[in-house]
This record gives sequence, C-alpha cells and structure tokens, in this order.
Amino acid sequence: MKIRSALGALVAFAMLSAPAAAAGPAVSVRDAWVRHAPMLEGEAAKSGTGNGAVYATLVNAGAKADALVSASTDAARAAEVHETYQDAGMVMMRQVEQIVVPAGGKVELKPGGYHVMLFDLKRELRTGQSIPLVLTFRDAGKVSVTATVR
Amino acid sequence: MLSLLRALPAVLLAWTVSLPAAEPLRSGTFTPPRAAPEFALHGTNGGDVRIQGFHGKVVALSFGYTSCADVCPTTLAYLAEARKKLGAAAGRMQVVYVTVDPERDDLARLRKYMNAFDASFIGATAAPDLLSAMRKAYGVTMTREPSKTNPADYLIHHSAYIFLIDPAGYLRAIMPFGVTPDDIAHDVGALLAG
Repeated sequence: MKIRSALGALVAFAMLSAPAAAAGPAVSVRDAWVRHAPMLEGEAAKSGTGNGAVYATLVNAGAKADALVSASTDAARAAEVHETYQDAGMVMMRQVEQIVVPAGGKVELKPGGYHVMLFDLKRELRTGQSIPLVLTFRDAGKVSVTATVR
Repeated sequence: MLSLLRALPAVLLAWTVSLPAAEPLRSGTFTPPRAAPEFALHGTNGGDVRIQGFHGKVVALSFGYTSCADVCPTTLAYLAEARKKLGAAAGRMQVVYVTVDPERDDLARLRKYMNAFDASFIGATAAPDLLSAMRKAYGVTMTREPSKTNPADYLIHHSAYIFLIDPAGYLRAIMPFGVTPDDIAHDVGALLAG
C-alpha cells in the first residue's frame, strides 16, 4: 500500500513535470489535403504514373523555430518538399531544403506556394479518399498525417 | 497591377452609370481585341483543334504538362470549378490545354489527365516546332529544368496564364496564375454575354 502510493506520487510527479521538461511535440499538422489526380497506366504511363501535391497548415506551438525537411508516403514512389514561385512571367516549381515554421507561428502549404510533391503515384487519388503521409521536422521528428483527397 | 486593372473599370463605370455599359472584365484585356493567333493541334477529342472549330464558345486556353504537381492541376481544377459555376452556359466554355511537354504528353496521357478534371476539357499536342511557334504567338515561355534528385526526370518552368478567346475568335483577356474560379466564370460569362 505504502509502495503503491509512493509509486503513484512518483508517476503523478513525472506526468506533471514531463511537459515542462521535454516541451512536448511542439509541431502539429492541420487540414492536410491532396489534390485528386489520375494514376496513369499502360501506354499513358510510360513517362511516369503521374504526380501530385499535398497541402496542409504547419503549426508550431513551441518557443523555438522548427522546419519541415522531408516527407514520405506509400501512395507515391517519392515525396519532396517543394515550392512554387514566379519569375519573369513564368511559374516555376523547385525543391527546397526546408520550410521553416516560426516559433508560435504557422506556415500554410497551399496551391501556388509550398507543397509536398508526390512523384509517380502508386494509386489514383480519388476525391473523398485519403492517403497516409509522414512529415519529418528537423526538431519534432516524424509526424504522421492523413491527407484527404479533394 | 492587377488591383489597378480591377479598380480602373470600376472608376470608369461610376462616370457612365446611366449608360448600359457592358460589364467590365476582371482580367487584363487586349485593347483593341485582335484575332487570336491561329493554331492547329491534335486534340484528345480525337480531331483537329483550331479556333474556327469553337465559334460561338469562349475558349479558355492554357499551357502546361501532366507531370506538373502544383501549378497545372491547380489551374485545371479552377477551370473545372469555373465551368460548374456557369451553370447552363457551361457548354459554351471550352477549355483547351496545350502541352509544353510533347515528349512525355501523348494524347492517351493527356486524355486521362483532362478527364480527371472535366471530361469536356480538350488536351492538345502537336509537333514540337508547331507548339513552339504557338507559344511564341501567345507570348508563352518555358524552360526545362533537370530534377536534382533524378537526372532522368525534369520539371518545366512555363507561363501559366489563361487566355480567353471570345465566341468570334478574338483574343480578349489574359489571366495570371492563381486567378479564382469566380473571376474566371465571371469573365467567361461576360464574354458569352457579348
């Protein structure tokens, strides 16, 4: 009995102090979605099965900036962190090393801006379905996300 | 610049409020309108794609490629949404999407891709030199950028405007990338109304 309550107190203390000590997972991902896309097959797929883009809002509740550095999903051969930008009337897309999420702030991945590019889809992305995705942050590590197909 | 283009017609309208003025377009306009540069392409509709074939319709013409992840699907999704917003007039809006990547985008690939957005959309391709001449006529530029992670792969940087050609074949408006479905539907509707 004595041991039990002592253990209980210890556990309670650990639970109370844990968030303060480890700061908890500061980064969360909201409203992840992926644009519907066909998966090209047969003759139409000789140059790849098609690509896609995932969008989401990255929220950092922590006191230190973090950054999205990579992504992966089983719905595509590969995933990379990209941005769309404009220059001299052209719209361009390129890979970026990271997307910084400021302390106490958020960053939106949205059409025409930051996105996770999916290379060679492994299945058709149909509206209403969803795909699993792992976003890796420099400090927060891996965050599992479900992206709804829109 | 865009807000200026938008604000200007509003200011002019305020002065001519008593006149039955045609509703101004929200996009940049070609003044005076000129005949849209001709083109002759192979379409996913199984036939030739030429301006004369679309008389009586507003053609929303844009350029892109099917391996594009963000820009092209966004443009096509917005065009599809705009067409839905037109309701009964949707049948008089024709989207023509011209590939900037003829090497990878054959008709089979373009057809599957267009169908994912709107089965009425026509994807089009042609011999590379013809596509190049067409881009020049419309002021569309592109460059190929090899992928950093996969040397066999490449991205294409390209102009992502939407051009609006009126039912008489005149090039009337140019919309920048990211223009909303509302604005597209508004301007297509205005051109249909004459």
